Amino acid sequence: MHDLNGTTVAQDDAVAGTPATPTKAAIAKEDAAAAAKARRGKLFADLAPLIGLAVLAVAFVLAGTSAGTNMGYAVETLVNQSVIVIIIATGAIFIFAMGSFDISLGASTLVAAMVAGLVHNATGNLWLMLGASVLAAVTASLISATLAAVFNLPVFVTTVAMLSVLGAVAAALVQTTGGAQIRIDRSFAREYDTLTVKIIVAVAFLALCVFLFNYTRLGRVEKLMGGNPVTARLTGVSMKLTAIAAFAIAGLGVGLGAFLTALRTPTLTVTSASDIGMNILVAMVFGGMVISGGPRSRIYAAIIGGISMALLNQTMSIMLQGMAGGAGIAQMVRAVLFLAVVWLAASGFRTKVLPR
Amino acid sequence: MGSFMRRATGTLIIPVGVFAVVWALAAIDGASLFSSSDSLMILARTTAVTMLTTMALAINLNSGRFDFSLGAMALASSTIGATIAINVGGGFPAMAAVTLAAGALLGAFSGLLYVTLRISPLVSSLGVTLLFEGLAFTITGGGNISFTQYPELVAFGKNLTALVIVIVLALVGVYTVFDRSRFGSDYRALITGQHAAVSAGVKEKGNAIATYAVSGGLMGVVGLIQASGKGLIEAGSINFSTIGIMFTAFLPMFVGGYIGRYSNDKLGYLLGALSMSVIGLGYSALRLTSAQQSLITAFLLVAFLIFLSNEERAKHWWRRARLGNRPPSGPAAPPRETAGVGASA
Amino acid sequence: MKITRKMAFGTAAGVAAALSLAACSSSAGTTDGSSAGATDAAAADPVKMCVLVADVTSSEALSFRDYYTDYIAGNFPVEFVYSDELADAEAEKTAMEGFIANNCEAVISFASADRPTQLDMAEDAGIYYAVATGALSEEEYETFKDYEYYVGAIGPDAMTEYQAGYDMVKHFTAEGDTEFGIFGGGVPYYLEMHIYRAAGMLAALAEDPTTSYGGATEMGDILGKIYQDGTIKIADFESDVYTLSGYLETWDFDAAWQASMADMIAAGPDAILAVGTGNAILGAAVDGTGIQIGDIDAYTEDNLVAMENGTLGFLAGKFTSINGPIFAATLSAVQGEPYRTAEGSAFALSQGYWEATTAEEFQEIVDADNVDAPVYDVDALSPFVASGASYDEFADFVSKYTFADLVG
Repeated sequence: MHDLNGTTVAQDDAVAGTPATPTKAAIAKEDAAAAAKARRGKLFADLAPLIGLAVLAVAFVLAGTSAGTNMGYAVETLVNQSVIVIIIATGAIFIFAMGSFDISLGASTLVAAMVAGLVHNATGNLWLMLGASVLAAVTASLISATLAAVFNLPVFVTTVAMLSVLGAVAAALVQTTGGAQIRIDRSFAREYDTLTVKIIVAVAFLALCVFLFNYTRLGRVEKLMGGNPVTARLTGVSMKLTAIAAFAIAGLGVGLGAFLTALRTPTLTVTSASDIGMNILVAMVFGGMVISGGPRSRIYAAIIGGISMALLNQTMSIMLQGMAGGAGIAQMVRAVLFLAVVWLAASGFRTKVLPR
Repeated sequence: MGSFMRRATGTLIIPVGVFAVVWALAAIDGASLFSSSDSLMILARTTAVTMLTTMALAINLNSGRFDFSLGAMALASSTIGATIAINVGGGFPAMAAVTLAAGALLGAFSGLLYVTLRISPLVSSLGVTLLFEGLAFTITGGGNISFTQYPELVAFGKNLTALVIVIVLALVGVYTVFDRSRFGSDYRALITGQHAAVSAGVKEKGNAIATYAVSGGLMGVVGLIQASGKGLIEAGSINFSTIGIMFTAFLPMFVGGYIGRYSNDKLGYLLGALSMSVIGLGYSALRLTSAQQSLITAFLLVAFLIFLSNEERAKHWWRRARLGNRPPSGPAAPPRETAGVGASA
Repeated sequence: MKITRKMAFGTAAGVAAALSLAACSSSAGTTDGSSAGATDAAAADPVKMCVLVADVTSSEALSFRDYYTDYIAGNFPVEFVYSDELADAEAEKTAMEGFIANNCEAVISFASADRPTQLDMAEDAGIYYAVATGALSEEEYETFKDYEYYVGAIGPDAMTEYQAGYDMVKHFTAEGDTEFGIFGGGVPYYLEMHIYRAAGMLAALAEDPTTSYGGATEMGDILGKIYQDGTIKIADFESDVYTLSGYLETWDFDAAWQASMADMIAAGPDAILAVGTGNAILGAAVDGTGIQIGDIDAYTEDNLVAMENGTLGFLAGKFTSINGPIFAATLSAVQGEPYRTAEGSAFALSQGYWEATTAEEFQEIVDADNVDAPVYDVDALSPFVASGASYDEFADFVSKYTFADLVG
């Protein structure tokens, strides 16, 4: 799945296309032109998710104002609907940047939210609830990482197994209540399910992630592992420890997301958070994250993608409200836009062979 | 002769072992694996669905192409086939033909999209999943397709002979296409050396599109069998709710990869699927809850992967324990052929 | 890299500024994010009524939708906006946020994952909220009955569900059937209506003095045992008269589930008692075996065919226009005449099922109530839409829901 040589191949192709007997100056000129073209292509590719975000924002405002939507409430809703996905997806970027793939994040979120709910119901303490949520999520994440590291298992398949295990754990947690739900006191949840709490949690976690990813060795090593694991190993980096650190950070994100999930929807069932696993994947990719990881990984991808997805969903729901079968059409439009943005984002990085 | 025995043992040890263990557990509990006249038919049906899904997953995953859209292809193709058969007529033959053709076309479309956009196949498959789920939803307006009024359209899925024929035809077909044809040679060349194969003139795009088409066709058959088995098509499934079927194929795929070392991986997929179906019958005989079933299946997956990933290490320890420091004797194990089965993911 | 980061911040700031401007300019006319529900303009325009639905695929859900969008919207000044399928509480909340943002004036909810949150959101936004084909629990009702914008609930309450299961067994035992299988559907998910229906079935069987379920013979004890186990254990069923030869639950369709279904059918019961979706899930499997299905579902074409061919022996079903009264009450509230009980609270009214045991009865019901000619037609509902009717009159109207009451 690693797409390692995009830049090199693009330049090779440009060189291969030059005439048979050019002068040295002509070759240099053509090389420079090709390099400039490649730079422009990459710049455009980098900007594609941002262009997508801007276009979606304009479409949302136009559709909303023409339909008489209450834009104040709609914008607040945008934040409410995207912040959990943004937090979890930003943490997950640490896993994806090193070329790994975790499919169990949605199930982890559910289990952590349930643990948070049970702890709150037992203690009534907000901080214990938050701590329990983070602890449960980090533990689940580290189990995957440890299994993969100790037994040399493919990470993705390990997380497929964790998906089943966490689903069964969630069912068991619900059964402890003797009913179908874990319910958190709604007045408590309403008190803390506020924009202020969400923004504080999000800003603190995103700042931590940006710092770790862009300004510490951890982020650089992860991108190196994703781009060229052989080189990473040769540099003496501990692949296993780095992977465990990445999973721990992702677990922290899941724990915080689960905490906010429990506050936002204080009635938790085995189907809660069922969409989150795939939504974070789509949000990351929509925001320009390269799914195979490596040097093109961007910590901002989840923010851009999360807001883009929320804008798109709101715009579609405004435009298709009342239409029978509208959900199917909305989903197809989402698919086309998703593919278009990803295609543009990959436009400067074409390889001679098909990407894997 | 020794080589044959070793190959036969390697090929059959998992399905025979699974059957023996599950049968014994059921017997201890006083239950039977084949407690009803339909048990064999159910075994054949679930084996067919799992085997076809495993093949559809593996033929792309072996090439490093992860495909989330398998379930969506089964859903969309069977929705198209059933809608045409119900509204236009033609009975089961029309439904089967249209579903199969729709599956192959949807698969080819998915492949075409991938080679045209030249984006990560995993990412492409996310978009395709949304697209095909949305298509099925739009065709029915979100409603299920029920076969209560059209029992003739789903009789096929209850016919043991028909199901066995499907299994055999699929096995022979996939084996011929991927192991005994020029196309298959190119396919394998692209797996083992993508750049070299392309440089040598292998048409990678065409090969990829055709592989996706085969995958789609296989999932079309899965859609047909599932429609028969359930008596309905849940065409309103959106928001990635179709991806679950893919997860059922991982363990059989790894089992198939292991068996492939001794005989053929396609046969391995069949035997892996058969093993999983026997385990399913065991779950029923032992009356395990859904949560217990999930835990056991997850444990089996992890345990088998640990075995696969640490087989050489375990053998090394075993030899050292048994023989001290003397070098091991006897024939070497057959080469591993598990390249690409998700290891990089 | 640097350019991308700058661009990211720049674009994000631009988008935020644009959205903020749009938000400020658009919300200038409102004070608290509420919809324009009570504005005078609503009187002239159709009332925008939004519908939360957990199920958009079943025949029942589709026929309910057709009744609202085709018949009601064609005869009353109202437009309906439906949600997508809502799988969980988060989806419900997201849909409610969309409804509020898009100026819905009332919400009719068929989704029950987290009703307290729905009620709170509607109250905060100042839009009317009603529960269709369901009921709040007693505890929930006590909490929310005095909310200004809570209209009320009409639908089968827990006892009605219990009664439907009870009636089903009484029908089959009256026919002389003694061997049964049970399809428990959502029992392991603690789906309350399925648990009550199953309890009704077991309680009806337990009226025989030799019969009990784990020693329990009364409703409360049977319910307690099901809630404790999270399933129904056929080993705990004891009787000298009746046999419970099979049990199936959930909708997994995997190998284990199919094998369990095959075992239940192979046991050859006289009837399979389904807590819901029985014909849809088991109809094809029992076809030709002589086993009958008892089901609690809806009056759909598929169920009619099953009853005609003898597969379906008993149906307790919601009729197509069953949601007429809750619509009338909601529209009345939007137009300024909410129904309140004598204590000034929102109402909680029960409505049950229509039962059919023959194809003729089934056909009669379908003929009497369909999307084109519903029993709750414009003439029946109009007197209760802001026309000065009292709560008692409305409650009396709702209570007369049986086939005999409405069709004669």
